[in-house]
Amino acid sequence: MASENLLEIKALQTHFHTEAGKVSAVDGVSLAVGAGEIVGIVGESGCGKSVTAQSILRLLDEKSQASYSGEIHFEGVDLLKLSQRQMRGVRGNDISMIFQDPLSSLNPLLTIGEQITETIRSHRKFSRKNAWQEAVRLLRLTGIPAPERRVHEYPHQLSGGMRQRVMIAIALACEPKLLIADEPTTALDVTIQAQIMDLIAKLNRELGMSVLLITHDLGVVAEVCHRVAVMYAGQIVETADVATLFREPQHPYTVGLLQSIPSLDRDRAKPLQAVEGFVPALHQLPKGCRFAPRCPHADARCHAVMPLLEAKGSLGSQARCWHSEALSQKEAVGHA
Amino acid sequence: MTDSTVQEGKQQARRTSLIHSQPVRRFMANRTAVIGGVLMLLLIAASLLSPWLARFEPQAVDVVSRLKPPSVKHWFGTDNLGRDVFSRTLNGTKISIQVGLTVALVSSAAGLVIGLYSAYYRRLDQVLMRIMDGIFAFPAVLLAMAMMAALGPNVSNLMICLSIVFTPAVARIVRSSALVVKEQTYIEAMRALGASRTRILWLHIMPGTLSPLIVQGSFVFAESIIVEAALSFLGAGIPAPMPSLGNLLSEGKQFIYNSWWMTLFPGFALILSVLAMNWFGDGLRDMLDPHARTKRKRSRKGSMEKNTSDNNNEKVSSATQASS
Repeated sequence: MASENLLEIKALQTHFHTEAGKVSAVDGVSLAVGAGEIVGIVGESGCGKSVTAQSILRLLDEKSQASYSGEIHFEGVDLLKLSQRQMRGVRGNDISMIFQDPLSSLNPLLTIGEQITETIRSHRKFSRKNAWQEAVRLLRLTGIPAPERRVHEYPHQLSGGMRQRVMIAIALACEPKLLIADEPTTALDVTIQAQIMDLIAKLNRELGMSVLLITHDLGVVAEVCHRVAVMYAGQIVETADVATLFREPQHPYTVGLLQSIPSLDRDRAKPLQAVEGFVPALHQLPKGCRFAPRCPHADARCHAVMPLLEAKGSLGSQARCWHSEALSQKEAVGHA
Repeated sequence: MTDSTVQEGKQQARRTSLIHSQPVRRFMANRTAVIGGVLMLLLIAASLLSPWLARFEPQAVDVVSRLKPPSVKHWFGTDNLGRDVFSRTLNGTKISIQVGLTVALVSSAAGLVIGLYSAYYRRLDQVLMRIMDGIFAFPAVLLAMAMMAALGPNVSNLMICLSIVFTPAVARIVRSSALVVKEQTYIEAMRALGASRTRILWLHIMPGTLSPLIVQGSFVFAESIIVEAALSFLGAGIPAPMPSLGNLLSEGKQFIYNSWWMTLFPGFALILSVLAMNWFGDGLRDMLDPHARTKRKRSRKGSMEKNTSDNNNEKVSSATQASS
């Protein structure tokens, strides 16, 4: 089992030490990404999806003095046990990451080519000339027109979508086995979003590269992901295949998210659907189910005891809810 | 389609070739920077060419023609030992520029290292910046004088002392701009791509701190010339027979009522070199930091408005007083 999965996160907890005490932004997340698979993590702002992604590369160690527990196995090696030096060998080489804001993810003082070749040369033995050729090849791979010219340009000369393509080219520089994309399309307009998602899906197909896609956009998930994990307040509340998640959501939060997607044929006079309330603050989480205060199905048990992530339904999804069966029955009745 | 992209490409190429001359053009458009720079170059050239420009050795004593006013033979006159003031002023300027340049380079380098590392490593920050604060707390002249007293007066000690005195100012400026760059996403992206800390620090953060550093360096240059002159004037700087500008002023002071040329010309050289460097630095700042320029313009405008409104208020208040 472990050998099949490229990345396997087991009961990961990421703690931050704040003035309000120790806070766990990620609390017991278990997740697996198989070779060649695109896995999505969805959730609203502050649910811990970005922290999960950054924990995998341990980017929070220095900056925020985060501490971890649990295990993150990448090709059988526990990343949480590696030294900083070994970790640097993994970053960019085996696992790459692209960020939300392509406008500020590139160094404005260096040309595109300099930034790509720097990453190539720091992980692989390339001569300067070969690295430049490789940079041009990577840019062409990401669909940038006239890459021979673009390598000599500075980031401010490129549009947002182009810069995200450059970021992807840099991330691909060392042919990583896993690409972590942290809301790669949030800062881009819709047509460019679609192009970038197509590009990521294409690279996944052609290079066999696994992708961990972090997003709050269920439309993006439906389009490219194979499997999805829905996160809420630092926990995974539901995981399923994409088709299953959309057809048979097992958790009320997932249902809420799906209902809040606006569609073209809805009654426009009605206000948009939303999940009521706010994400609880991490230092005063509810005792029972974390979603209970906002959940329409919550009862006394939900408020008292936290449900576990268990297999629900017939299609192999897992959810963290006491009421899944009732929920799916109600849904079925609703559809009939 | 392809035609248009090709054309666009040509335009792009033309634009990039222009960029190379852009800094030069912007510098030439900045009058204060050009005047300061040219003045500084002239002073440096004059001080380097002093053996050929001046017909007398700076230390050559000629007792017969002592305290002579400016003439064709001695352009700036002679001092109480009959030494040529022109030659001595040129040599003094040379020493001042040497000191200024060395101090500017050394304190910029030290300040760059200290500022960068304290911006990047939090623990180091606490230690290094507290030391810098300690040095910064003393007035420059006082601290330099105390250190000169401890080390003994000679040129290299003076350079060491002044470098120590001016390092904190540079370190602070480098640190503050490095802190800004450090929080940019592209630095985190570099870490996510596996770049080492040293690489991030020197290849990605350092370039972002260079322009304020260059500007501060030029001001350190000017200021260390002043402090060197002050120390020499007080006798704690360059030892007496050497013709530094401070020494010349100090010697001239005793004869100021009879032989004005002994103080006027070295003083003028001092003013010129400091002024040139300040103009140059001012111009550089305007050129390298467009934000600071607009901010200053705005604040000047704002203060003017404030003044006029203050005047109005005064008028109103005086009017009310008169009526009551």
